Amino acid sequence: MVVIGKKKYQSGEGAQFLSRRSALKKLQLSLKDFRKLCILKGIYPREPRNRKRAQHGDTSIKTLYHKKDIQFLMHEPIIWKFREFKIFNRKVGRAKAMKEFGALRRYLNNHPQLKLDHIVKERYPTFIDALRDLDDCLTLCFLFSTFPSIAHVPREHSLLCRRLTVEFLHAVIAAKALRKVFVSIKGFYYQAEIKGQTITWIVPHHFSFEPQSKNEVDFKVMSTFVEFYVVMLGFVNFKLYHDLNMFYPPKFNSPGSTDTKLVDEEVYVSERIAALNSPLSSVNNATPAPEEELDTDQFPTEADPSQLELSRIEVEKVKKLKTLFKGLKFFVNREVPREPLVFVLRCFGGEVSWDKMLFVGSTFDESNESITHQIVDRPSMTKQYISRYYIQPQWVFDSVNARQLLPVENYLMGSVLPPHLSPFTDMLRDQTYIPPEQRALLDPEFKVKTAKDDSEESEAEEEGDDQPEIEQAETILEGESAEATENDISEEEPEITVTKTNDSESEQERLKKKKGMVVQQGQLTRENPWEKNRIEKQEYRLREKMIKKKHRNLYKSMMQGKEDRAKEIWLLRKKRRIHDSTEKEKRKQMRKEGKIKNTA
Amino acid sequence: MKEALNKKRKVSKKTKKSWRKHVDTKDVDNFLDEKRLEERLGAPFSERSDGELFAVDKSPEKKSELTSKQQRRLALKSKEPVCFAILKPHTAIPDPIAKRNRVKTPEERKNPITRRIQAMKRLNGQLKLKEIDANKNKALAEKKRVNKPKLGEFDKDIWMEKKKVHMDVQSEWLTSDTVRHTLANTGQKQKRVPLSLSNKPSVVPAVQAPHPGTSYNPSYTDHQELLAVVAKKEMELMKQEAHLDRVTTKMFKKVSADKKNDSWMQEMSEGLPTKSKTPDETSDTEDHDPNVKSVNPPSKNEKKPLVKRRKQKEQRQLELERKQAKVEKKKVADIYKIKKIATQISAKEKKEEFLRRIRAQTKERKIAEPKTLSKVKFEAPEPDFELAEELVGNLRNSKTVGNLLRDRYKSLQQRNILAPGTRMLKLNKAKVKKFEKASHKMGWEDTFK
Repeated sequence: MVVIGKKKYQSGEGAQFLSRRSALKKLQLSLKDFRKLCILKGIYPREPRNRKRAQHGDTSIKTLYHKKDIQFLMHEPIIWKFREFKIFNRKVGRAKAMKEFGALRRYLNNHPQLKLDHIVKERYPTFIDALRDLDDCLTLCFLFSTFPSIAHVPREHSLLCRRLTVEFLHAVIAAKALRKVFVSIKGFYYQAEIKGQTITWIVPHHFSFEPQSKNEVDFKVMSTFVEFYVVMLGFVNFKLYHDLNMFYPPKFNSPGSTDTKLVDEEVYVSERIAALNSPLSSVNNATPAPEEELDTDQFPTEADPSQLELSRIEVEKVKKLKTLFKGLKFFVNREVPREPLVFVLRCFGGEVSWDKMLFVGSTFDESNESITHQIVDRPSMTKQYISRYYIQPQWVFDSVNARQLLPVENYLMGSVLPPHLSPFTDMLRDQTYIPPEQRALLDPEFKVKTAKDDSEESEAEEEGDDQPEIEQAETILEGESAEATENDISEEEPEITVTKTNDSESEQERLKKKKGMVVQQGQLTRENPWEKNRIEKQEYRLREKMIKKKHRNLYKSMMQGKEDRAKEIWLLRKKRRIHDSTEKEKRKQMRKEGKIKNTA
Repeated sequence: MKEALNKKRKVSKKTKKSWRKHVDTKDVDNFLDEKRLEERLGAPFSERSDGELFAVDKSPEKKSELTSKQQRRLALKSKEPVCFAILKPHTAIPDPIAKRNRVKTPEERKNPITRRIQAMKRLNGQLKLKEIDANKNKALAEKKRVNKPKLGEFDKDIWMEKKKVHMDVQSEWLTSDTVRHTLANTGQKQKRVPLSLSNKPSVVPAVQAPHPGTSYNPSYTDHQELLAVVAKKEMELMKQEAHLDRVTTKMFKKVSADKKNDSWMQEMSEGLPTKSKTPDETSDTEDHDPNVKSVNPPSKNEKKPLVKRRKQKEQRQLELERKQAKVEKKKVADIYKIKKIATQISAKEKKEEFLRRIRAQTKERKIAEPKTLSKVKFEAPEPDFELAEELVGNLRNSKTVGNLLRDRYKSLQQRNILAPGTRMLKLNKAKVKKFEKASHKMGWEDTFK
């Protein structure tokens, strides 16, 4: 009798995984094609919970795929396209070897082409899904648009990348969706908000291409990613343009310019589009692109009001940001990177132009008197106009990040720039010590006491009576605990007690009134502020007790951390105060000595 | 002898055949050749006057028009194609047979009546099967050509497209199973997309927020922080390297080549009868020593006596009984030990709780870390930074640091999208060793190497 039992690895983890080799066998593809298919379809290798079981007892580390994933790949129609490619390659190889150049040309003209539309739809069922995954796509496309034609990156791919990225920039300009810019040593970091999704991407600096060593990056793999992302970006652009009521492929209404005698109309249009300087024409000119602005609805019952207030302020700030550079005219000098600056300025409503010989699409000359700002990046210029500011490019980026026009004094031509801070660190949410200088950068209304001011003041005062000026300069960041206690004020409790006392008193009063029937002036019941505070604290402590055991440790550590940070801030502030006062003393001493010398 | 050879042989020219064979017609042939040449090219040059042969070039010297590439091309275009040259007569001599026959085409060879009938049929739309097929194929090819996807052509909103509804299975009378079956068997099987497609393989964002110290003009504190991070990493690396050095290289002494050789010699000749040693007689005697026992003496199949077996069995039974009695006794005693057991259990639970917490913590920590997807371990890219003296403080002079492509590649690996691997730059093909068969050896191959 054969014992019918369970065989090993027929179920469970042993049955769920396939090694790469067995996947290749199952799909009947070469490793090259399999890699490409996986990248295009978004199927990635997996790590099993128990490797030994997943590999049927083998403990060496293999690349494993989920069985269901491979079964999913089996249905893909582009597998047949891969086989077509194989045959195509064989034919081309043969024709080349036999020197049948006619046949070769015929084959090359009729090369098979992968169609990836359905895969884009499959991987991103909704437009929002596609937007969520746009970071990678944009970064790679921007990168590949700077590449020359090299092995595995045909010229048409890099050209297409360039076209699509420029189109995307136009969409961002039209939607006014840019929020943050950061110039790092790697490249330009941009952050935009489209349909409520934050999209971050990196654009390399100008002329940043450097040849790669072969074993560092697999170009074949990266170009496969780009092959997919190009299609995805194309469809995203299409959708974005249509949502903004613009033509896609983009058109722009060219004013009857003088240089109409052009050989190639297409080149003319694509160059103008690449200039980023002229608005694209919308489908019907009467209705401009719908703004995404919405009035924030009031839901007083739902969340706590402070949170709602914060979000309202945020919306207002963003609204203001969208028209940051409106009404300003900029001229970009030759030495300044044109594309990032034009993109940023146009995103916030600025008018931009540049030297005619630099790039097509400039709209006004340097000699135009209505220019308000000229962006220069050189220490000095011979010919300067008095009607405009000569500022360094960092002013633009810092203004965008501060969400308001910063004073230009620090950014004038030739001056040493203040540091360019990253907008991606959320400093205001953390409890961190911000020195007064940095705070002045973040918040232009805030004034730092510089040494000069100090000296002037002290001169006015003459004899030093130490005023707590520094106190004024200090910024106090409210701790969240204080906020929490404020928010949870229970106002009912004291009222009830008041009414109760009122009851007992009224009894007596009624009797009195019965006797006297005299109207006396009512007394205002005064709430004891200490009492109220005490009760609040008590309640707060009670609520703390009610925290579930599951979260108690977390809560404790949170509170501890908060306390520590507050302490650190206090310490740093104290250090600063001492430092400032000693410095002041020193200066005073110096001045006195100087005076004595002068008199002597 | 030589003279004899040079001497003309006398041959008979008796018969017509031998006459033809031996008669010298060279002069006649030459004359005829000349005549033909004359016919082709006119009178011989020697007979013609200078005026006929030469002309004085009075026109100014022309520059060749074919200077530019375009002109050369134009000239080439206007020239008669080389491929037609073969169709032209290559002599000036006219064809002696004026009425040469020409092979007619099958169409021409047809009977005019048949031809007319066929034309009528074609007009009526009655085509041959071959022609019908050809037309069909032509239409198909044209359609295929038109529908061929073009790179960079985006002309539809794929997210607004409606899913195709199969009308034939849209009925309330069909169960879902029936619908599935019908669709599957009519080649319209709907595949289910795996859930993993919508889940990202990692929680790490695609573009991570840059460190504020990587700004082209960073603030002092940010820059110092970044440098501290970089320095810490570097120190760790150095420590690791030092450790590896200590554990491997430094464990061994440096020895001169002679010494090494000597020690090798010694090691290799261990146990061998060398010249220095006199042949041992002791070892020989040892072999025959009766006192020495083998490590593994041969076993003997000795049977136990029955009495011994019985006694052993009894002992086993007794042991079992004793054990059971002990367990029973313990049961009774445990009632008085409840407190102790309770503490033991609580201690155990406490330990388990602790372990569970640790496990949860490690799991949380591992979420952001790259998974093990292949034999090669993921190596985090080195952070990009600029030293303080390299910072210039303006956009014009600042230079790019780091490689964005490598950065992306590493990011994909970090997010479990790509399995990290070493690129194989050379295929490790097995080296083929060539031999020559002894039978085919000729012996001179080695000398010509």
